[in-house]
Amino acid sequence: MDPECSQLLPALCAVLADPRQPVADDTCLEKLLDWFKTITEAGSSLQLLQENPCLVELLCHVLKPQGLSARVLSFSLRLAGVFAAQESCFQYLQQAELLPGLFGEAGPLGQAAWSAPTVRSGWIQGLRSLAQHPSALPFLADCGTLDTIFSLQGDSSLFVASAAGQLLVHILGLSLQRPAEGPPSPQACDWPVCAQKIVGHIEGSLRSMATPQVTQALNVLTTTFGHCHGPWMQVLWERLSPLVACLLQEDPLPAAHSLVDLLLSVARSPVLSSSDCGLWETLAQTLRRLSPAQAGPLALGILKLQDCPQALRAQAFGVLLQPLACVLTAADQAPGPPGLPEGTTGDSVTVDTLLSSKSACAGLLCQTLAHLELLQPLPQRPSPWPQAPLLGAAVTILRFCNGSAAPASDVGGRLCAILAGCVRVQRAALDFLGALAQETGPQELVTQVSAVLLEYLRSPDSSPTVLKKAFQATLRWLLSSPRAPGCCDLDPDTQLFLRELLPVLRKRLCSPCWEVRDSGLEFLTQVTRHWGGQAGFRHALLASEVPELAEQLLRDPESYVRASAVTAVGQLSSQGLHATAASPEQLGGQKESLLAELLHVLSTDSEGFPRRAAMQVFTEWLRDRHADVAEDTERFVARVLQAASRDLDWEVRAQGLELALVFLAQTLGQPSARCPYAVAAPQATPPGPLAQALRALSRVRLFEFAFRALFDCDRPVAQKSCDLLLFLRAQATPSGGLQEAEGSPDVVPVEAALQRWRAGEQGEPLGDLEPEAVLAVLRSLDLEGLRGALAESSDHVEKSPQSLLQDMLATVGVRGENQADCY
Amino acid sequence: MPEIRVTPLGAGQDVGRSCILVSIGGKNVMLDCGMHMGFNDDRRFPDFSYITRNGRLTDFLDCVIISHFHLDHCGALPYFSEMVGYDGPIYMTHPTQAICPILLEDYRKIAVDKKGEANFFTSQMIKDCMKKVVAVHLHQTVQGDYNMTPDRHLGAAWIDKCRPNLLITESTYATTIRDSKRCRERDFLKKVHETVERGGKVLIPVFALGRAQELCILLETFWERVNLKAPIYFSTGLTEKANHYYKLFITWTNQKIRKTFVQRNMFEFKHIKAFDRAFADNPGPMVVFATPGMLHAGQSLQIFRKWAGNEKNMVIMPGYCVQGTVGHKILSGQRKLEMEGRQVLEVKMQVEYMSFSAHADAKGIMQLVGQAEPESVLLVHGEAKKMEFLKQKIEQEFRVNCYMPANGETVTLPTSPSIPVGISLGLLKREMAQGLLPSAKKPRLLHGTLIMKDSSFQLVSSEQALKELGLAEHQLRFTCRVHLHDSRKEQETAARVYSHLKSVLKDHCVQHLPDGSVTVESILIQAAAHSEDPGTKVLLVSWTYQDEELGSYLTSLLKKGLPQAPS
Repeated sequence: MDPECSQLLPALCAVLADPRQPVADDTCLEKLLDWFKTITEAGSSLQLLQENPCLVELLCHVLKPQGLSARVLSFSLRLAGVFAAQESCFQYLQQAELLPGLFGEAGPLGQAAWSAPTVRSGWIQGLRSLAQHPSALPFLADCGTLDTIFSLQGDSSLFVASAAGQLLVHILGLSLQRPAEGPPSPQACDWPVCAQKIVGHIEGSLRSMATPQVTQALNVLTTTFGHCHGPWMQVLWERLSPLVACLLQEDPLPAAHSLVDLLLSVARSPVLSSSDCGLWETLAQTLRRLSPAQAGPLALGILKLQDCPQALRAQAFGVLLQPLACVLTAADQAPGPPGLPEGTTGDSVTVDTLLSSKSACAGLLCQTLAHLELLQPLPQRPSPWPQAPLLGAAVTILRFCNGSAAPASDVGGRLCAILAGCVRVQRAALDFLGALAQETGPQELVTQVSAVLLEYLRSPDSSPTVLKKAFQATLRWLLSSPRAPGCCDLDPDTQLFLRELLPVLRKRLCSPCWEVRDSGLEFLTQVTRHWGGQAGFRHALLASEVPELAEQLLRDPESYVRASAVTAVGQLSSQGLHATAASPEQLGGQKESLLAELLHVLSTDSEGFPRRAAMQVFTEWLRDRHADVAEDTERFVARVLQAASRDLDWEVRAQGLELALVFLAQTLGQPSARCPYAVAAPQATPPGPLAQALRALSRVRLFEFAFRALFDCDRPVAQKSCDLLLFLRAQATPSGGLQEAEGSPDVVPVEAALQRWRAGEQGEPLGDLEPEAVLAVLRSLDLEGLRGALAESSDHVEKSPQSLLQDMLATVGVRGENQADCY
Repeated sequence: MPEIRVTPLGAGQDVGRSCILVSIGGKNVMLDCGMHMGFNDDRRFPDFSYITRNGRLTDFLDCVIISHFHLDHCGALPYFSEMVGYDGPIYMTHPTQAICPILLEDYRKIAVDKKGEANFFTSQMIKDCMKKVVAVHLHQTVQGDYNMTPDRHLGAAWIDKCRPNLLITESTYATTIRDSKRCRERDFLKKVHETVERGGKVLIPVFALGRAQELCILLETFWERVNLKAPIYFSTGLTEKANHYYKLFITWTNQKIRKTFVQRNMFEFKHIKAFDRAFADNPGPMVVFATPGMLHAGQSLQIFRKWAGNEKNMVIMPGYCVQGTVGHKILSGQRKLEMEGRQVLEVKMQVEYMSFSAHADAKGIMQLVGQAEPESVLLVHGEAKKMEFLKQKIEQEFRVNCYMPANGETVTLPTSPSIPVGISLGLLKREMAQGLLPSAKKPRLLHGTLIMKDSSFQLVSSEQALKELGLAEHQLRFTCRVHLHDSRKEQETAARVYSHLKSVLKDHCVQHLPDGSVTVESILIQAAAHSEDPGTKVLLVSWTYQDEELGSYLTSLLKKGLPQAPS
């Protein structure tokens, strides 16, 4: 602890110990505790207490019944725990009888303050910090502490109850993890007292069959098997598994959700899964025992396991597929769903669940679809993967949802009625359908997929979120579609699909919902990025009016849409798909170039998003040497930088620096490895003579832009500029000879301007800067120092511990009523 | 037994990070998804792991409802929806939907401006999150900060006597009966005026919205009245946009503004101009509104540093500042601030705190409870001690149960499951006439209008409802113009349209009315001459909502033109 803080600490402790002085706000105490944690992690707690006796005094104060606020009480308990985490300090506090006082019956435990959840939470967290070394165990075992923790598992506060469970896991782990001589004994009487008590409590809870107790016990075990390792885990499971198995006999099954978590946690534990312990049988039994909705997570968990018996995997996959099998059976005229693994027929329990209510049906289907979506990309997914029936199921569900299916069976009819218009299921099914695009399927099914996607994209009933998902799924299917053999163009089916899709996209770009227009533009950008070079796509797109519409959306009333339109037309233009050439009949003849239009957006749009998007497009264009840019690169860069420098939005200015850096790299050569920016500039032209390059930078006013940005009031901008100037200096200096050749340059105007900018003035724009003068100034600036300062958080001074202590002391007595204004 | 369960994850005996889980009728709803300004780590957001442990988030949670756009009520939303993985619907009002992204961007900027803010949401995430929003018209949201005193820009909160099972209300100023708004305003204007008169500069650090608007209107009006010449500046682009939205949502603002708005746009200020960094050094008095509001970075801090050394100047903090900001320091009376590089900044300028906070005081909360007549009240968003006081007051005065759960504590309330609703005989008879009688096994849907009057509920036909409530029926029609190349007279064009449609639409009733117009079901088509081009006729097509599909089909059909008539 630095001396300044040491000096402030006694006063602060006195304030905290004084019940008449309310403490400013909760966050201060939290931050204070954070600070003590860092100190004690770095050094001796005992020494800290000895050097700052005020801390012990503060803890002693808590013992006196004097109505300290719940917050301070909670803070003190946690603080004591932080100190006692070190064994020496633990002994010290024990000797002072502080620990039993704080955490035993005599402490807050027996006082009225205990009714405040924050005090109970502080008590648990204190113990959690304290329980780091074996000497803490007798303390925990002796003082009746464990019993209190047991009861807190059922606390009215979710946070306290959860923390109590975590603490039990921690203590159990600590007590059993002592260096053991040989394997642990299965006999409980040989176990440490704490472990005996905790395991005894768990056993009691499991036997009680009362759902809350069983849940608590299962949760503790789940965390234990998830976090702790060692041979004793196996012993523990051997001892408890009969009790867990007993639960499966109960009807109704108590705490099914927690039971699933536990079994999966055990199965994932490396110690156990290698030696069976009857676990696989229990898992198989549980799968049979659970309701379809409960069994889903367990089935997924089993399928994700690295190694487990094939039969169990098959059973789990069957369970997972059940709901989809029901859907397929319900929709299909032919008996039995084709292609699903054997034994997967829609069973009556699943059918009943699906038909019981709309929420149960939607819940089960969404869960199943999400689970299969998770499973699909995994290497350990079941093989063979039933791609075709899954595609069929997804399409069928989507058809049930939009009413376009003609179910043959009674169940199908009822499912149709339940699912009609169900947005939740539509979203989940579209996500799943998109995920299935990783692989293809029989052509007939792929055609159905295209058809159903078009139905959704076309339907006036599709909600904006559903449309977004439909666009995403369509994109995935489009991009995965096969190329026609022998040429690099699209295959005829995809061509056909595109011809139908583009008019739909055109309609969606005119949607009254901004969300839909935006999703449409995002789709257009993506598909153009990937397919811009395909002749078939280019032809279809140019014939579709979509590019013209995208350009019209540059004037959309919604800024998000304008931004997406900027990105889309930027992308179209990069691929030579921009609509300018295609409108000769336009009145007035001369159409404004896109560059001019985007520059207009950059300099006049009232909102940040479109301007940011324009900057991004410009940077891309410069990087890719877009034709409009290459015409007169210097003029382009100068115009963009001029507009960006005046921008109120910090991200536009930061993006301006990004563009400047690309230009710099192209003019001077690639950024060196030292540069923090991984600019993917194309192979730069060999740098011309340095002086010439620097003059180019001067002509586009890059120096001025970067220097102004160096003193920007937004830190990220200044930081970026600093990096850019460092790069410039590194690139320009090695050849060095310039300075000597030209004699000493006149740096006065540059330095004067720097002074003004540093002071935050705008000042007059500088004329053409002499590159030599700029370089000389650049060399004289302490850019490394500045970079160090900027790398610090903008509030690092206010965040310091000293500042915290000062603030806490300063607020004493001035605490007004207005502590809690909204932000 | 059906019940309502309420668990605050944030704002339970606490201010900031508002997030309340409500389970009601088998549905799980999250009210608000806010952040805490005081922390830069995980603690700034509610701990959502308590929800995710119930399985997949979107399966567990049916919806999120955001009460209003303040960050302590919506600041964690993009994190929750794009990073934690909630994919369901989010409900908020139209103004909240419009303003929310501005504030979230502002918040993101602050976070990015500080170091080590990895794992923070991006602009794209804010947009994706906003796309999940379903904007709704709510008379008032159930819970959230509200204010019973009309603001200059927003009307006072009002809630019907809806007798809910439970009223969840904020209680920030639970113990306070605040001095009148007028007093606070007078005080504010006096201080600004005095400073400007003696040639000083006034800095008002603001968050982009709400208060800033109100203060602008206040100063603008005052400047006009007293004929002051000192310039007033606004330093941020974001607020321009905010003003723009306030303009858009003028109908949500208060009566007086709406009236004034007709004569003069209250949000287009005559005296208030955009600020340029260079102006800070101009001699003479001025007033500057600058962001951010807690003087922790950016423009406002930069101006503060320039002006702090002059005792003629003044800074007015119009809101709460969290620890760790310069705003917090100067409000707690610190006058020597250590800045970067161990420089010490001596604060000689005057420091004032003026609360214009948008929270209800004790009187306002009591008024609301009295109006709504709930069966129970639950207090959130306030400090424990103050809540305790208000809880007793509510229990004594209204004889209802009042709860104040801490974060993580669950309150369970039993509710009566059925609400008796009377059905008018006419409606029943009409429905019966239409088909099979409903039975317990085959329930049937019945459409009607629910009238809630006093404490009775009645389902009647829409005609009867109109009659009882004395309302006129309005019909919404869509119209569209289609241009046709046809140099003949209008009547002839109409006749051609008629015969064309008659031949194409065999299943529909196509009629040629005596006045020359053509109808297809509810769709009306009239031909008119083009004002400029005699060779063109304009077809006016109009249809009702019910015939939307046919209407758009007809328009597209007519756009293709008419078949060549034998000349």
